[in-house]
Amino acid sequence: MKIMVVDDEGIVLDSCRRVLEADGFQVLLVTSADKALAAIQDQEPALLLVDIKMPERDGMYLMREVKEKWPDIPIIVMSGYHTAETVKEAVKMGATTFIAKPFTPDELLETLRQVIQKKESPGN
Amino acid sequence: MFYSTRSKLIASFLGVSFLVGAVSLLIGGQLLYKAVLSEATKRVRLDLNAAREIYLARINSVKVSLNITTLGFGFRSALRKYDDLELVTRLRRMAQHAELDFAGIVTGEDETLCRIGPNPVPNERHQTANPIANLAFEQGIPISGTVVLSNEFLSAESPELANQAKIQLLPSPKAAPRAEKEEPSGMALAAAIPVFEGDDLLGILYGGILLNRSQKIVDKVRDAVFQQEVYKGRSIGTATIFFNDLRISTNVSTLDGKRAIGTRVSKEVKDHVLEKGVTWTERAFVVNDWYITAYEPIEDIFGKRVGMLYVGILEAQYIDIVKKVLTVFVLITVAGMALAIGLGYILADKIMSPVHRLIKASQQVSEGNLSPEVGPLSKDEIGVLQNTFKDMIVSLQERDRRSRAESEDRLLQSEKQASIGRLAAGVAHEINNPLTGVLTFTHMLLRRKDIGDDIRSDLQTIAKATERVRRIVKGLLDFSRQTKLDREPTEINRLVRSTISLMENQALLKGVGIEFNPGKNLPMLTLDRSQFQSALLNLIINALDATETGGNVIVSTGITLSASDAGQKVVEIAIADTGCGIPPEDLDKLFDPFFSTKGIGQGTGLGLAVSFGIVQRHGGTIWVQSEVGSGSTFTIRLPLEGQRE
Repeated sequence: MKIMVVDDEGIVLDSCRRVLEADGFQVLLVTSADKALAAIQDQEPALLLVDIKMPERDGMYLMREVKEKWPDIPIIVMSGYHTAETVKEAVKMGATTFIAKPFTPDELLETLRQVIQKKESPGN
Repeated sequence: MFYSTRSKLIASFLGVSFLVGAVSLLIGGQLLYKAVLSEATKRVRLDLNAAREIYLARINSVKVSLNITTLGFGFRSALRKYDDLELVTRLRRMAQHAELDFAGIVTGEDETLCRIGPNPVPNERHQTANPIANLAFEQGIPISGTVVLSNEFLSAESPELANQAKIQLLPSPKAAPRAEKEEPSGMALAAAIPVFEGDDLLGILYGGILLNRSQKIVDKVRDAVFQQEVYKGRSIGTATIFFNDLRISTNVSTLDGKRAIGTRVSKEVKDHVLEKGVTWTERAFVVNDWYITAYEPIEDIFGKRVGMLYVGILEAQYIDIVKKVLTVFVLITVAGMALAIGLGYILADKIMSPVHRLIKASQQVSEGNLSPEVGPLSKDEIGVLQNTFKDMIVSLQERDRRSRAESEDRLLQSEKQASIGRLAAGVAHEINNPLTGVLTFTHMLLRRKDIGDDIRSDLQTIAKATERVRRIVKGLLDFSRQTKLDREPTEINRLVRSTISLMENQALLKGVGIEFNPGKNLPMLTLDRSQFQSALLNLIINALDATETGGNVIVSTGITLSASDAGQKVVEIAIADTGCGIPPEDLDKLFDPFFSTKGIGQGTGLGLAVSFGIVQRHGGTIWVQSEVGSGSTFTIRLPLEGQRE
């Protein structure tokens, strides 16, 4: 399964790759929203892990675009500084779920599993 | 306002002095009038006695003159001889000396020998009836007194006398009606002396004074008794001789200044004096003025009441005395009233000036000046008021100072929180990314099976420390998040109870009792339930943490009056513990972020700051009472109305 991680912070990208690859996922790392949009076209990831706060275009923009073009791709939103409003807005933009930074590998994997399960049984 | 108090004071003073003045005027005036009247009455009675003496003396003088004449040798021998001419000469001399109006000698009943006057020796002896001579003849003794003489008799004596006697009756409205228009008869003072030679009666000498129009007696009374006292050009005393009810001799004047001869006395007086024969002493209207009067009957030689003797004193002079005294009374009253006005004015000033200063001071207070000038302290009730006012000012100042300090505190606290919030947000965001890396790689390393126990222990320390950093940052974020309140109507007791139930297990484990005393009739409040609950939870956790096993945490709710806004009601939630208490020096740092009394690693130091922020955003306050060793009470107060973000 191919998972795309979008974040401007290298350490976050590295952490995600380390955890996800160890768990057998295929991982694509992208550092900006624009690059992500370009890469989705080619790589067709099964799931997106997106940071909200990024320079230039932010995660909200990316989600809007993705939901428009690829409405089937589930999106997990990451944030180091979130409020109830940002979470609500993210869900409105099409986020499937939300994970707060910092997270442990177990927390990340648990969240992923829930989203995948949900995707594989769309009747839910 | 001051004016009104002053006028009230003056009005009451005026009222009192007016009342006293009026009462003394009325009562005093009445008493005085009565006293003066009784004095005047007493005097007029005495005057009447004097007048009577003069009247009687005149009668006596007539009698004595006649008597002396009868004793003269020449007279007796002339009478013996019926020597008319000699007798007439002697009679004329006597009449001149004794001022007699008529005189004569009779030799028998109605038999006149001779007389003074134009027809001294009548051709015919028999003449009109001579009542006094007849009485003397009848009784053979000297007779003297008042006698009524018919006009015929007077005509015979002298036509001039008859004329003098005739008096026209003048209209007198109060008098008893009389049919005739003229009184022809005369009233006279007369005497008749029988002259005896041995047992033989030689004749009777008679003589007298006609009272009609004669002023001598009345003027003598006036001059002797009243000593020519004059009041406003009028003699104060008057005397009158009445024939029947007719004034025949008087010095009472009519309106045109003439003597009031011909006027008559009132019926009332006539009835009393002439009919009943009693002395009359009373205030009466005589001819044209008020007099204090006295009347007594005059009886003639036959004992019949034929006239009256009168004296009167002009009332005006007595009334004037009363008036003068009353005027003095009035002047005193007026002076008293003027004094009352002045006194009232000065007193009102004296009383009102501290009140005035107090009013000024309270105006200053209402304008915001809390140190107004009250002025020197009075020693009376106003002084008490001034002191009370000063106390009030002091407590106002105290309250003002406290509320200012409180709002400064609050401002400081929220500024502190805001700046820390901004800082926290920035820090959190920057730290969370590397923290993700640390957490990830530590945990990945820990997954490895090929590491030694020492390395694993080290890694676990890193993981634990990182977890703590994560908690701190999360706390910072919670603290900095000024999330909008999602308010909904909330039953405060239910929210508190559900929060307590979350902590019941933990309390049980620790062996601390947790109690809830819900207040009654609490209103619904609109709160962000989840945020408010986390604030409550935080306070309850702190309370549990501070309390040793066996202690108690008591949560109670109620409604009370606000401490800062007078009259405002607030809902109060108090969380009291029997724990260790908070040292006084820590109390004001309690709500600062990162201030913690718990051991390192135990708390983030943000719980109370977060709770404070939540309550504050609900428009409420938190305050603490604590005593080291006996416990602390955290009290949340939420306003009922005007809840603000």
